Amino acid sequence: MAETVDIHALAGAYVLDAVDDIERAAFDRHLRDCASCAIEVAELRETSTWLSYPVAITPPPGMREAVFARVANTPQERARRAAPSTSARRGRWQRWAVAAVAASVLGAGVGTGTWVVADQKADNERQINAQMQAVVSAPDAKLLSKDLPGGGRISFIVSPSRDAGVAVLSGMPPAGVNKIYQLWMTGGSTPTALSVGTLEGDGSKYIDGLQGAAEFAVSREPAGGSATPTDIVGGVSF
Amino acid sequence: MRRNEDELPTTRFVPLSTPEPRVDAEDLLHRVGRGDERAFRVLYDLLAARVYGLIRRVLRDPAQAEEVAQEVMVEVWRTAARFDSSKGSATAWIFTISHRRAVDRVRSEQAGAERVRKVAASSVETPYDDVVEAATARIEQQQVRRCLDGLTDLQREAITLAYYGGHSYREVADLLETALPTIKTRMRDGLIRMRDCLGVSV
Repeated sequence: MAETVDIHALAGAYVLDAVDDIERAAFDRHLRDCASCAIEVAELRETSTWLSYPVAITPPPGMREAVFARVANTPQERARRAAPSTSARRGRWQRWAVAAVAASVLGAGVGTGTWVVADQKADNERQINAQMQAVVSAPDAKLLSKDLPGGGRISFIVSPSRDAGVAVLSGMPPAGVNKIYQLWMTGGSTPTALSVGTLEGDGSKYIDGLQGAAEFAVSREPAGGSATPTDIVGGVSF
Repeated sequence: MRRNEDELPTTRFVPLSTPEPRVDAEDLLHRVGRGDERAFRVLYDLLAARVYGLIRRVLRDPAQAEEVAQEVMVEVWRTAARFDSSKGSATAWIFTISHRRAVDRVRSEQAGAERVRKVAASSVETPYDDVVEAATARIEQQQVRRCLDGLTDLQREAITLAYYGGHSYREVADLLETALPTIKTRMRDGLIRMRDCLGVSV
């Protein structure tokens, strides 16, 4: 299968972090089915680790104590259980990859009805979930995901062919008293930031109509939301 | 892409302590996973210069590099229980996190196309010269240098632009004006040649 050959050739780029999120997810899956590839990748990873020797430099003087102080106040994660099973095969690996990443982002299987949309009426939820699923399983779906400096993770899955996207907030810290999170997009035909909805914390938003937007961001706003973003906590760019 | 003179690693380079035998870093990381703060401190002292140095090489900005390096070290503490020694060494696990976080930061700040345009506008300069300059008497650095020397120019440039420059293979292909499949292949066979040269096995 041509795709298998192609993806196998990615081993070097994968180890060097020179692939995008979708390729990485696809390759991760490939590794689960290919023991010899997993060994090769492990060896090439060890090899790449050597490249840190020539660039070693003394860290800034305050860093050591700063890290130890943070560590003293940071609880540890327990060992992870086995990865949850994801949705059934969806044909092309790109689609599978986005779905798998989306599932891990959401911490639930795609389309299981756990995508709670905070301010939607219950009878709308099913439709929204179906729309979200359509975005996630679109052949041209792209995912961009990023840890936020203040904690939590922002993810956007965008499908140009469907002219729609899904925004996901996960592991978010409380927005604050009388504060909410607001999602924005900009670029394309939207020169100023356009609100795509608000969330009180973790959750997802369906974005109907991308208008060519290439940047997505999340900000902290007074309850009720704002016309323009005030306190941007992070963003991603396609 | 050119760094300021005072950012060249030659001026800041410090000799490292004896390289960690794999079992030590592994043992330390397992202890960290069980909440041992003392083990974390030892592990930090063992690897902080390489972690910070690598992140700074990718990000170039010292303040940002420190911020990301701190986050990486705290992440190592927080997620140490996830480390699975059957999948690789403790150092590989830690440098995988370090490099990923540095690259995440670079890519989130500038859209890929914009970065390529910027870089393409200046002359193509691989960090390899700096690597060569920075290599001192330390045996691991000599080994890395010798093994990088053993690569073809294209293999070496593809690997260093991706690893030290934080570029995607698409960007590397643009920068080196070489076809995508060729770049992918050179990254892979270059690393394989490095692996054999360094005698890495798992």
